[in-house]
Amino acid sequence: MNDHKSAVPVLESRRLTKRFGGLIAVGDLDLVVWPNQIASVIGPNGAGKTTFFNCISGFYTPDEGELLFYGVPIHGLRPDQISAMGIARTYQNIHLFAGMTALENVLVGIHSNLRATPVGAMLRMPLTQEEEEAALVKAYELLEFVDLAQEADTLATNLAYGNQRRLEIARALASDPYLLLLDEPTAGMNPHETEAMMQFIRRLRDERDLTILLIEHDMKVVMSISDQVTVLDYGRKISEGTPEQVQNDPLVIEAYLGAPADELVSGFLGGE
Amino acid sequence: MLQNRLHGWSDALREGLSAGFITGLILLFLILIGVPVRLENLALFSLLLTTAIFGIRIGRRLWRAGLGDVLSNALVAGLLAGVMVLLLMALVNRWQARGIDVKRYFDSVSTQTVTVLSGVPAAELHPNPPIDPLTGRYVEGRPVRTDPFRLTFNEETGLRLKFGMTGDSVFDLNLRIGGLYGFVVLLMLTSALAAVVTWAWLAADVGRYRRQFSGRLTGNPVARWAILLLPVLFFGLFWLTEGQGVVDPVLRLRAGEREAQLLIAFLIILWALVAMRSAEANDWGLGYTARIGIVAASVGALVLIGIGRITGNNSTFIAPVSEPRGSQTLSALALVIAGAALIIQSAVLLRRPGRFESQFAIATSLSVLMILPLYLDQYQTDVMTLVGINIMLGLGLNIVVGYAGLLDLGYVAFFALGAYTYAFLSSNQMVFDSNNQPIGLKFAGNDEAVVRAAGWLTITLFVASAVIAAGLWRWRRVQAGRAKAALVRRPLIGVAPRPSTGVSVLLVVLAVGTSALVAMLLDGSSLYDRLFSGASPFLIGLVAGVIVSGIAGIMLGIPVLRLRGDYLAIVTLGFGEIIRLLFNNLRSFTGGPQGVLQIPRPLPENVSGPASYLALLYLVLLGSALIAFLSARLKQSRTGRAWSAMKSDEKIAQSMGINLVQAKLTAFAIGAMFAGIGGVLFAARQRNIFPGDFRLDVSIEVLSLVIIGGMGSIPGVIMGAIVLIGIPEVLRELATYRILVFGALLVAMVIIRPRGLLPAPTPELSARARQLAQARNPGRAQEEVQE
Repeated sequence: MNDHKSAVPVLESRRLTKRFGGLIAVGDLDLVVWPNQIASVIGPNGAGKTTFFNCISGFYTPDEGELLFYGVPIHGLRPDQISAMGIARTYQNIHLFAGMTALENVLVGIHSNLRATPVGAMLRMPLTQEEEEAALVKAYELLEFVDLAQEADTLATNLAYGNQRRLEIARALASDPYLLLLDEPTAGMNPHETEAMMQFIRRLRDERDLTILLIEHDMKVVMSISDQVTVLDYGRKISEGTPEQVQNDPLVIEAYLGAPADELVSGFLGGE
Repeated sequence: MLQNRLHGWSDALREGLSAGFITGLILLFLILIGVPVRLENLALFSLLLTTAIFGIRIGRRLWRAGLGDVLSNALVAGLLAGVMVLLLMALVNRWQARGIDVKRYFDSVSTQTVTVLSGVPAAELHPNPPIDPLTGRYVEGRPVRTDPFRLTFNEETGLRLKFGMTGDSVFDLNLRIGGLYGFVVLLMLTSALAAVVTWAWLAADVGRYRRQFSGRLTGNPVARWAILLLPVLFFGLFWLTEGQGVVDPVLRLRAGEREAQLLIAFLIILWALVAMRSAEANDWGLGYTARIGIVAASVGALVLIGIGRITGNNSTFIAPVSEPRGSQTLSALALVIAGAALIIQSAVLLRRPGRFESQFAIATSLSVLMILPLYLDQYQTDVMTLVGINIMLGLGLNIVVGYAGLLDLGYVAFFALGAYTYAFLSSNQMVFDSNNQPIGLKFAGNDEAVVRAAGWLTITLFVASAVIAAGLWRWRRVQAGRAKAALVRRPLIGVAPRPSTGVSVLLVVLAVGTSALVAMLLDGSSLYDRLFSGASPFLIGLVAGVIVSGIAGIMLGIPVLRLRGDYLAIVTLGFGEIIRLLFNNLRSFTGGPQGVLQIPRPLPENVSGPASYLALLYLVLLGSALIAFLSARLKQSRTGRAWSAMKSDEKIAQSMGINLVQAKLTAFAIGAMFAGIGGVLFAARQRNIFPGDFRLDVSIEVLSLVIIGGMGSIPGVIMGAIVLIGIPEVLRELATYRILVFGALLVAMVIIRPRGLLPAPTPELSARARQLAQARNPGRAQEEVQE
């Protein structure tokens, strides 16, 4: 890790609040992600994890608080501006461009790194052409990186589930992000595939020099790869620290298991 | 017992009964909408065709059953259909006999249909029996036919099988069997024949032989060359139907020659598309010289044929002021230049291996399309021009709907704006007062001041936008440089891509200043006069039309940015109507419902001969080719991918860094500009335009042709324009049912080929990507081998 960088956190959330009517989806959330870390956000269903991600990627405008990316405020910017700054994400339910091939999907991901204009494309200016070729090569190499080069010309809808997940990550990587947000990357995977995905996430951090923030339900994954874990419940941060610290926090255990016996039933009914 | 038997029968004949019922309904429908009247040549043919199609269905469904089952089912189907027609005829006759005004109810059923189908000679048939106006009773002594159940054997009421486009028929056979019994027998025979042949075909597995044959075809060089040469071969067919100077045509088309020729011309265009699509990466083992030689020779030969036509028939398409009958030299020169350009382009592209087939197909197809118009007469040229204008509109809408997925139902507005802009800048229509005295020019088309103003505006717009674009670019470079200096890895863009107010004002001032300066210089140096007083109003109109439509596209785009799907469709539909109503009601400005008259052609006024109509067709062809070319390039670009992603999922596209505002406005603007070009050419073709020319129907028609051809597919749009605009124009008789046919085709397309007639192929970029990647990093190739 570079020392001069660690002075500035990649992402800093200051008292971030997002309400939907009376419901506080995310409340007063303080969170700091340092460079080259793998940070996890966990919590029971409905804890506000995905809402937090949507605030970061610009789908939601936070009601209060600040979001700083390398010290630059990003709350209130449009998703495309945020993506252009270097924050990429994947989705809990895969969202690929169904009618486009795998290679094209990755090419769309490179969009914000290209400068070609429609006029340049129509006249096929030398610069546009050069850029297009570079983008093509880059997209293909990314597909190779995620082991999908064989499927480059397959339509995204026709890919197998695991391949779709990997393609989504390749697409997110295409914009050369600093920060990668992964929303349940191992959802729907068997233990073997989950293991492979964990290896892959570590490889991403180490080889591509990335900072990763992930939402995960699989505790084994979270505890084994995270440098830092934040636990949310009902939109509020209830615990933070290394995996070991979090694991032993009574508040976390309560949030997940609903410890007091008399509240167990109501927690069950209301929780899910 | 009897019930069981009946059950047994109806089970065994279920196929036949259902097929017969549907056939009967369709036949009744055809008779009631009057197809036999207006299409008398095709009438019986189409009735029998319907039966045959259902016969084929029976044969297919029962192909595992025995011959007896098939035959009985088919006969029952024919019988049932016949009985249904018979019931209609009986009804018609009964009502007639009772003195009911049958004509009112069966307006489209002609006397001839009744004669042929009922066997009663026309002379004896009274559409309405004579009634004494005083008593209200039938006049005695005049026969009233009530008996439609006849079987006749004579010429007059015999069923005639005629086949031909219009007028004379190519094929005419009088079966000499008439009357309803005769018709029923004919229906039964047709359906039985179709069913048995289909059954035998399937039972004998003829498809196996066909598969073997096609298997042999795929590897066959002759077959491949035949496919590549299809446009040329069909051009040859066309050529044979045309007299060459004093020599008569080799191939005489008897009936509907002009229409048949047009159909061949459409086929040439279609085969050109097919040839280009089916080209493979195959060089036939030829060296570079041989490859370029073959392409150059075929292009050269076709250009020579074209020059022969120009000199032999005076089919010119360029007419300078000095030569009102068209200049053969200039026309020939234009062909030669175009041919040379094609050859040079091929020479460059053929250097890469694997390009021969596609390049050959493209070069020969384009050459054929280049010389084809020289063989068309005025009517055919007119139809082709219309098809070409619709191709432009279709390609423009294809960008908005097909690429960007924005359903635009008011597309006709941009078409109208293009047409009216040109009309406004060029027409010199006089206005008359109530005493029919001219009170002045309504449109200052040839008025120096208007043309000057248009020229001024055009130049100012160009200069100002160039200055602003350059300034913004420079500013961004500076900003990016600063950002780069500040950060280690990559510039943090996206935070503030907009210049501050100060910079913006500075830019605007700079732009206005520069354009004023340029305009002053032009004015002072008399360069301006030389530029614009000599320029044809058409060119100015074209540029102005494109700019106006483009701006209108952006203006429509801004308010609908947040809308999607059906909401967008409704708002755009309203926009289209607003523009039309504006043209209709701003009388003093647009001429109102009387329209704009006397719009000049893009030619000197005194031109006559083929040049007067061919010039416009060449302009339209050039325009469509250019638009198709630009569309293809846009699709394979950053912008095209952004549209495609936006069409697929707007939100996700935005989170991939795509600026939705920019992407949508670009799509609207480019689509509108293409429509504007179409509009200008439309005004030049019609010469008189009215607000009624720009109804909602046009938008729907263009949308239909895009959907039927294949959304997002350029060849698809071209095919859609031919199928929906060209062919109805040829089959004039069917034109009444155009909307019906549109509807039927749309429904059929959605069910049978939901992606269109010629859908856009999935782009296969991986081969090129691999090639490029290896070229950049040669070490990789070995790695892959080791794996």
